[in-house]
Amino acid sequence: MRPTDFVRTLLAFVILVMLHFTLRPLLGWRAGPDFLVIATLLVSIRVRPGAAALLGLCVGLVADSVDPHVFGAGALAMTAIGFTASWLKAVFFADDVLLNALFFFLGKWAFDIIYLLAGARGDAGQMAVQLFVWSPLTAAVTAIFGLVTLLILRPILRASPS
Amino acid sequence: MPPAARAFSRRDTVLFVSCIVLAFAAIQLPDRMRDPIASALRQTILAPLVAIQSDAEQSRRSWLTREQREAQRDSIALRSMSLESALAENDRLRKILGLGQALKWGFVPAEVLQGRNVGEEYTITLSAGARAGILPFSPVVAPEGLVGMVKSVDPTMSIAIAWAHPDFRVSAMSIDGNAFGIVGAHLGSEPERYLLEMRGVPLRNNLKPGTLIVSSGLGGTFPRGIPVGTVIDSIQTSELWARTYLLKPAVPPSDASDVMVLLPARTTAGVQTVWKVGLHADSAVKAIIAAADSLARLNGRHDSAAMVIDSAPKRDTAARAAKAAP
Repeated sequence: MRPTDFVRTLLAFVILVMLHFTLRPLLGWRAGPDFLVIATLLVSIRVRPGAAALLGLCVGLVADSVDPHVFGAGALAMTAIGFTASWLKAVFFADDVLLNALFFFLGKWAFDIIYLLAGARGDAGQMAVQLFVWSPLTAAVTAIFGLVTLLILRPILRASPS
Repeated sequence: MPPAARAFSRRDTVLFVSCIVLAFAAIQLPDRMRDPIASALRQTILAPLVAIQSDAEQSRRSWLTREQREAQRDSIALRSMSLESALAENDRLRKILGLGQALKWGFVPAEVLQGRNVGEEYTITLSAGARAGILPFSPVVAPEGLVGMVKSVDPTMSIAIAWAHPDFRVSAMSIDGNAFGIVGAHLGSEPERYLLEMRGVPLRNNLKPGTLIVSSGLGGTFPRGIPVGTVIDSIQTSELWARTYLLKPAVPPSDASDVMVLLPARTTAGVQTVWKVGLHADSAVKAIIAAADSLARLNGRHDSAAMVIDSAPKRDTAARAAKAAP
């Protein structure tokens, strides 16, 4: 990655992290967009799988520090989706809107599944509702917001001509 | 999102496995080790982000509760408005009670019933009538002073003319009892319409602005000592032999909501001690009367002395005659 691309990606990452802590609480939705997942996925497809896994671990640990009872679950989920996104990007990432939306949707849903299973919160019924009702809904919202974010940040995320 | 060709190396796998192991280790950490790490992260990297999140959530709460707050603010404003009117009414009722205690007897409390319709600005309907003992020409008073006079009486209600009525007249005097005149409505233009005039004040009496004018008791309709108004200034009229003064009424039109109607016996007995403003005039009159009595007594003594002096030669003559008698 060129230094210019690195700075652009970093800028987009910071913007998305800020959105996670500003726009998300402002919306206050039960199924709100997860800008941390979007940020991790956006960066992951631009770095090597190992770096993506490391980024996922860091982002997950920071996010987990808010709720120490599930400390590490978010880190595990972020590591997994970061690494997987980076690994699978050659398959998924044609510059197609629907594919990108599907990418965000699956990424968020996978994150929730790993997070809930690793955290082992609540009983089976609650977890099922969360996994099959709220998580897909949250993933869909995240996908929509991810697409909007991609459109808005397109000038930043565009790769420099080689 | 442009794809970037890159090799998937062993190093990536090692890093991934290491991260997974670290994540599992974090999950399995005991509380005593996990909490300090989480706390350190919260206090360093996450601190500014949490602060931003807190502000955002506060903004959202403010946004969501804005209508509720507006409604609460409006309710409070409405309550404070009604509170002011309630306080004013309370104050007014206290004054009425005070007036009732001061009068002690010979009065009928009444409520002014009607609104001020067109053509009825200067008459008021009272909630008490003949059954309560009210008679025509009974004075209508308020804690501040004179309101008007009962004109006609029905069994349960009565009609009174207020001081602003063109036909209203009351014999009045200055508080010191020096200047007398007749007070009636000032029939001027609209802003001054709700003022009074004191006519027929002798030229030698110069009343200063702010002088209190009270009923004089002459004529018998209004007892002496009810505040009528205060002098604003003299006004020019065609009368050359007397002065006319503009008065500010003691009872503003808006305050005539609860009143007292004085019964004839109370009118006859007087109300000088009720408003405690007629005392000065009364004491002045008493002083004058006392002075006149003193003069009369002095004259009497002089007369007696003169009589004694006059009768002394007669007594001497009589004594001499008695001595000369055999």
